[in-house]
Amino acid sequence: MADLKEKVDLKSAKKELIVAVRECRDRGLVQTAKWLTEQSAALKPLEPGEFPAFPTDTPDFLQEYDAYNVARSYYDVREYDRAAHVLRDCGSQKAYFLCMYSRYMGGEKKRGDAMADSLGPLKAGQDQCGWLRTLREELHQKESDLDGYSLYLYGVVLRRLGLQQEAITALLSAINKEPLHWGAWLELAMLINDKANLVALSVPNHWMKQFFLAHCYLELQMNEDALTQLQGLADKGFSLSTWVKAQTANAYHNMRQVEPAVDLLKQLHAEDPYRLDNMDTLSNLLYVKEMRAELSHLAHSVCQVDKFRVETCCVIGNYYSLRGQHEKAVLYFQRALKLNPNYLSAWTLMGHEYMEMKNTSAAIQAYRHAIEVNRRDYRAWYGLGQTYEILKMPFYCLYYYRQAHQLRPNDSRMLMALGECYEKLDRLLEAIKCYWRAYSVVDQEGMALVKLAKLHELIKEDQQAAAFYTAFVQQSEMMGTVDVEEQCQAYRYLANHYLKHKDLDQATFYARRCCDFASTREEGKSLLQQISGLRSNQGDDSSLSQSIAEGRPAVTPVTATPTSSVPPMNLTFTS
Amino acid sequence: MAGDEIMDSGFGQILVNLDKLRTLVRQYVDAHQYSSALFWADKVSSLSNGEGQDVYWLAQCMFLTGQYHRASHLIRSKKLDKKNAACRYLAARCHAEVREWQQALHILDKLDLEARVGPQVRSDDGKDDKLQFDCGIPQHRVESSIALMRGKIFESLDNRDQATESYRTALKLDVYCEEAFQLLVSHHMLTAQEERELIESLPFAKQCPEEEVELVRLLYETKLKKYDKPRELEIPTSLDPLHENLDVVVNQAERNYYNCNFRTAYKITSKVLQQDPYHNTCLPLHIACLTELKKTTELFYLGHKLVDLYPTDPVAWFAVGCYYLTVGGKHDVARRYLTKATTLNRMFGPAWLAFGHSFAEEAEHDQAMAAYFTAAQLMKGCHLPVLYIGLEYGMTNNLKLAERFFKQALNIAPEDPFVLHEMGVVAFQNGDLDTAEKYFMDALEKVQAIEKEMLTEKWEPLLNNLGHVCRKLGRYEESLTYHRQALVLCPQNPSTMAAIGFVHSLQSHFDMAIDYFHKALGLRRDDTFSVTMLAQTIELYIGEMKPYEGAEELPEKFEGIPLPEYNVADVGDVKLGDVTAELKLEGDGPMMLESWGQDASTSSLDIEVEMEDS
Repeated sequence: MADLKEKVDLKSAKKELIVAVRECRDRGLVQTAKWLTEQSAALKPLEPGEFPAFPTDTPDFLQEYDAYNVARSYYDVREYDRAAHVLRDCGSQKAYFLCMYSRYMGGEKKRGDAMADSLGPLKAGQDQCGWLRTLREELHQKESDLDGYSLYLYGVVLRRLGLQQEAITALLSAINKEPLHWGAWLELAMLINDKANLVALSVPNHWMKQFFLAHCYLELQMNEDALTQLQGLADKGFSLSTWVKAQTANAYHNMRQVEPAVDLLKQLHAEDPYRLDNMDTLSNLLYVKEMRAELSHLAHSVCQVDKFRVETCCVIGNYYSLRGQHEKAVLYFQRALKLNPNYLSAWTLMGHEYMEMKNTSAAIQAYRHAIEVNRRDYRAWYGLGQTYEILKMPFYCLYYYRQAHQLRPNDSRMLMALGECYEKLDRLLEAIKCYWRAYSVVDQEGMALVKLAKLHELIKEDQQAAAFYTAFVQQSEMMGTVDVEEQCQAYRYLANHYLKHKDLDQATFYARRCCDFASTREEGKSLLQQISGLRSNQGDDSSLSQSIAEGRPAVTPVTATPTSSVPPMNLTFTS
Repeated sequence: MAGDEIMDSGFGQILVNLDKLRTLVRQYVDAHQYSSALFWADKVSSLSNGEGQDVYWLAQCMFLTGQYHRASHLIRSKKLDKKNAACRYLAARCHAEVREWQQALHILDKLDLEARVGPQVRSDDGKDDKLQFDCGIPQHRVESSIALMRGKIFESLDNRDQATESYRTALKLDVYCEEAFQLLVSHHMLTAQEERELIESLPFAKQCPEEEVELVRLLYETKLKKYDKPRELEIPTSLDPLHENLDVVVNQAERNYYNCNFRTAYKITSKVLQQDPYHNTCLPLHIACLTELKKTTELFYLGHKLVDLYPTDPVAWFAVGCYYLTVGGKHDVARRYLTKATTLNRMFGPAWLAFGHSFAEEAEHDQAMAAYFTAAQLMKGCHLPVLYIGLEYGMTNNLKLAERFFKQALNIAPEDPFVLHEMGVVAFQNGDLDTAEKYFMDALEKVQAIEKEMLTEKWEPLLNNLGHVCRKLGRYEESLTYHRQALVLCPQNPSTMAAIGFVHSLQSHFDMAIDYFHKALGLRRDDTFSVTMLAQTIELYIGEMKPYEGAEELPEKFEGIPLPEYNVADVGDVKLGDVTAELKLEGDGPMMLESWGQDASTSSLDIEVEMEDS
């Protein structure tokens, strides 16, 4: 998809960046400007003579210059409606964009202010869309005249209204006209739902496309591709870029390789202690590794930097969650959401907290909001599946797990969950398939095998069951994980199985293993008695006890020499 | 000179110039000093011994000072009413002012014929020369005023047919008589068709100079009824010099309002009102726009201003009533004020309609219908009250009656997309899908003929209904297109989403269906239809789908899972886009798998496991 071998002309790229930064700043697109400046700073500085000339302003803009200036200062102090009112009659592109964008921001601000304090059941967004619809009508009427930035705004409005196809078209034209507008690329990325759509997109062949692809791969969980892409970007000259580093860390995080991710993020934090941008990911990783001291340190330092940022609130939320104070954690996540209701991780993490507090309905709400914000958050789908499992609605639960699985096809946890649901629905064959798949994608918890074994036992596939149990006990010995219950059940079954099939050595071996565990001791003993009974029927003697003492199943040919039956009480156990 | 007369009274000779005195009287009238004018007119008429025109002017002055009976008595005692049309008119006018309708009518009817014949016939009656005079108004205008007066009297007596006739006569006699035209149009006495015929029949050419023919005709046309079908918005070019004229601009606004471009109409009316804050025709329109756009603060302020300045004008109370309607929940208060408006002027149509709407919003169907019936009687030529009556019947489930009224509305205004839409809904509820479709398509055509690009969101229910009809007829793809268009107009509408989900589930696209039901439920959590459908579709979907991608890589021997049959009960009440459905599910849930074959999956496991034994 990406031509990684294309070299990027860094000097011209830097010039483009500098020009784009000014354009974005003029129009009040501060977040894009921030990103662009960071990338520009990652490149080598330009010589004084190489600085680009800025595009001259059109004459109709210069006529409206005063109005534009006034409006811009109102925008800066966040008096959005006032800015829009000043510019209401302006026709030049820049002024028109600023007018529409101020109206959009004004509407957003009002919506944020109007949100109820408690983030319980949020009111439906219906009546909040009136201003969006008005904006859309007006932009639609002028559609053919809009420049790249206004088209971007049109795309944003369409996306907010749920009109995905139109939004994609608008954003594509916006990007074609203004390839350096990172905000437009980001919006487009939010609309791409799967790989096929990504391939089918006709984006311009600009070096910004590399960044876009890296971002999309990460979003779509195509993590290896993302890593390759990011590496390519670093090689091309953006190695100093904090964004590249942070996204690499994210990729590792997605692939569940915690160590490299933590390292990278800590590096970033050390380089720029006031950088809050990916600190919530770092806190997630530290939480997973249960590194309390580190997390505490991180929480305190970000708190000192800025208490009222979403990332800070998420970090602190994680900190409290790790300490077990879930109510406080929820409080902080809610604060994060008040600051930015579209912050995905806060919703998902809040959902997790509610689950911990056993508040299923609130958890469902939180997860649903997470999904509304971003359909591709597999943790939210998984969480929903869990809640419905608790609510005992198996079909819903299946659907959600399936969605989660589709987002991460190689994650065994989803498959295990699917398998369990199918089991509950008594659809054992599908369950078997799921567990089998989970096993083949390297099940990290080692539960797949034993489940497979149990299912096969249920469907009376003895051979298979035995095979699975055997594999399971070997695996648990290798991995050192000890799930005592399962293990002893495994041994018990195997012992019975071999006994049935008259493989007395194996049977004995496993029966002895049974005796190691308290719950199956009795059965083990009775099995051994049975075995010895059988053996005495067949006439085997002390050589058997010898091999038992060694603890290895000896595959000795069973001789059919008849012996006198040895009464059981003569057998001695060596334990 | 005739004016100079030397009067010989006992006190010597008084040289009086009667003409000068007469001019004096006129000047005082112009300067609104009616008492002075009365005094001198009295003296003049005595001095001239009761000459016709002096008596006439004396009567005028009495009229202007409000002494109506005195004026009427004066004219009748001098028998002027018998001879002169203008005097007759004045006498009748005096009685009309004090609302003595019968008396006025009586005066007008007397010797009607004689007056019509005209002054030419009088030449043989020399004795009556004294009574003939030129009162400065051309004869046909006088006659037209008489007819107008007659019409007003008939209207006050509730004799609307006669009134219409009289107004028509008035117009025919004098094309410039705008008041007659205005009364005809604003009281909705004629249907659109009849109005147009009237304009055609007016003898413009006879009465207007060449260049004014077009102007007058076009000005009248701009006043014509605008509610019968959506129309183009431009002003004819010959009216260009007048395009700043507020009347013409208001006409633009009214067209926009009818085409449901409320914001544009509001902008235009606001501008008009800035220039002329109490422009009569603009005010009701402006109030209506404010109500539609729910701008309560402005309505409040406007209502207060109007009531303070013009408490006798029904528009003021209409504004107040509309404010209470918009604010919501204060319907009885609103009704109080609207009643006041209608008491002040019985013929104020908008107030009656608003009155009916307030009942309708509270779901008091009988009262609403009563109000609409009154409105229908008063506004014969307007199809709106009839349309609303039909709507009320529809809501109370009297489909037959509703249909009848819609048909009546259709008769009056055959091209109104609103009426066509309602006819379609009735047909749908009767189960007659083809007719319903025809009506809906008709309505859509009409609307699209005007608004080429994007329909206003008022028409979103129409698109949704088309979607429902197509779905019932089994044309799922078409249905989806319509629903999507509706979604484009009104993006976050849960009923539309539920409908789309439903169509997808009928087409067995279960994953899309589930998606849409989720969205619908996200917007409106208590929608039973979506909840039920979601549960069903999830079950069907999971029953049908394999557990994960690539599950068929393992060779399997499953037959496809046969889906259960299910009947979808009728989707009721699709007016205005509501979707409620009862789903009858026949047959069991997804059937269990038939075969549990010995798969190769087990064999591959064997290979794995065998490695351990050695």
